[in-house]
Amino acid sequence: MAAKVDHAQFRLVIPSQTRYLNLVTGLAKRASLVAGLDDATAAKVSIAVDEAVTNVILHAYRGEGEHSVELELRFTEQALEIHIWHTGQGIHSDQLVLPDPKEYIKHPRKGGLGLLLMSRFMDEVQFKADAVSGRNECCLIKKIS
Amino acid sequence: MADLSIAVRHIGNVAVILPAGFINAHTVREFEEALESQVQQGRYKLLLNCKDLSYISSAGLGAIMGLIETVRENDGDILLSNLQENVFAIFDTLGFTQLYRVFAEEDQALAAVAPERKA
Repeated sequence: MAAKVDHAQFRLVIPSQTRYLNLVTGLAKRASLVAGLDDATAAKVSIAVDEAVTNVILHAYRGEGEHSVELELRFTEQALEIHIWHTGQGIHSDQLVLPDPKEYIKHPRKGGLGLLLMSRFMDEVQFKADAVSGRNECCLIKKIS
Repeated sequence: MADLSIAVRHIGNVAVILPAGFINAHTVREFEEALESQVQQGRYKLLLNCKDLSYISSAGLGAIMGLIETVRENDGDILLSNLQENVFAIFDTLGFTQLYRVFAEEDQALAAVAPERKA
């Protein structure tokens, strides 16, 4: 008798190049639908994943295209989790300062909106560092209501 | 199919820009160049008709934000029309719908930005 499977997960590794963003966001959208999220929510999840992977490519890896970005999608009954790992420059949740949209409107500028979109469109956004492996993680969680 | 293609129409002194596809960190430079090209030609009234825009990330919003002061200093503006639901959600979430005038249809936006234009 087959063992009961409580959740499913799979991984995708892409080069740290923006040309693959569309592939990743397309996957995130389809995965959201498979997880049971509606179309509008799936679109928001795909945007959050775009922003997270873009941050890794442009900031953690400073635009260098020879590195890897690893994504893991985890499907549970409660949520869709998207874990994004890299070995570039990490950030920690306690260092993050999200822009205030009201201030942003008063003083428009380029940049700084990706994290805000991630936090607005996902239920949880976590940044972690693993000192042993040297890998950094961004974890995006969308609860399934 | 390319991730992004951009068509431009001139109606009076208004540049109607029609991005089709996806604006993200990979395609944003092309989008930026399309906007900057109009400004360099002295066209400061830009209407983004987003009917075929499936997706825009913060990179694309930054490109729009980067030009808004220049066009408004020259009596121009950047207007938005025909936003798909998920694109509207991005603009609205960040408060951009307070920064930019948003119209359901291109004709409504043209009437607002160039009221002297005859239909």
